[in-house]
Amino acid sequence: MSTDTDARHHDLAEALRATVAGEAGVTEASLRIATAARAAGGPPVDQPYDTLARQIGDASYRVTDAEVDAVRQATGGDKATFEIVMSACVGAGLARWDAAARAIEEATDAPA
Amino acid sequence: MRLREVERGDSVRSRALIRIISVALGARLPDAARVAFYHKHFVGSALGAWTQRAMRGSSEWSVAERELMATMVAQWNSCPFCVGAHRAIAVRGMDKAVADACLTDYRSAPISDHLRATLAVLETMTLRPEELRPDQVRAAMAAGVTRRQLVDATAVAALFNIITRYANALDFAIPTDAEFEKAAGMMLKRGYA
Repeated sequence: MSTDTDARHHDLAEALRATVAGEAGVTEASLRIATAARAAGGPPVDQPYDTLARQIGDASYRVTDAEVDAVRQATGGDKATFEIVMSACVGAGLARWDAAARAIEEATDAPA
Repeated sequence: MRLREVERGDSVRSRALIRIISVALGARLPDAARVAFYHKHFVGSALGAWTQRAMRGSSEWSVAERELMATMVAQWNSCPFCVGAHRAIAVRGMDKAVADACLTDYRSAPISDHLRATLAVLETMTLRPEELRPDQVRAAMAAGVTRRQLVDATAVAALFNIITRYANALDFAIPTDAEFEKAAGMMLKRGYA
């Protein structure tokens, strides 16, 4: 059976997911959503976002200054670059949350 | 790559906070806090709220155990900043030798069977999420892990699969051991929100 703890984590995770697509960003929401999906193993996005999103998803310790700087050049500022980086990170993290929630739900026959 | 605006703050208020907390801490304010202050209405507030709930909210896991889980995710994701920061908090509530044995090999470390089984789930979730199966969850539960413990632990791991990635991508400066110690005290007192 689902518990209050589960519901609270679920609500907070969904609130975080919503902020990536929300109106507080300076970049296009569609780019942030696609970047998050790419870091979670989804389809390619335009360069230079694709390389950075894939690297953040697969092996963030290998991200280079050049990969981040290419996004900074394309977006024109730190705030937009920050949004792309954070969208990729949230995408990779929430994909793992979703995978764990599915496994727990299937193992215990209750929604996570 | 470090983003200059993140490092110095994007408002008068955040720049003042960075200066004041650095003075109070007696050390450079760690980059994790600078990110938390920056462009807060984007993902910062939502991320802080979930992290505070997962790391300091009610749970069958102790704060030290949750900080150890964060440390292990950081190790699996090769994030030296988060390994140093969260190990320093974990050892305020557990034996340093136990934390370090976990970092060497959690499978042989002197920890409870249910923590060991949980770390196995978190390792798969972090490194090979597509391989995480109900069977591994059932194995953890057979070792004594409750469903609530699994949900709480996977929330910690999900969050640190986010945090370690931006710490690496934004090239967080690595504090000294003494600075990690000072920051650990602040994190236990102030939390994550």
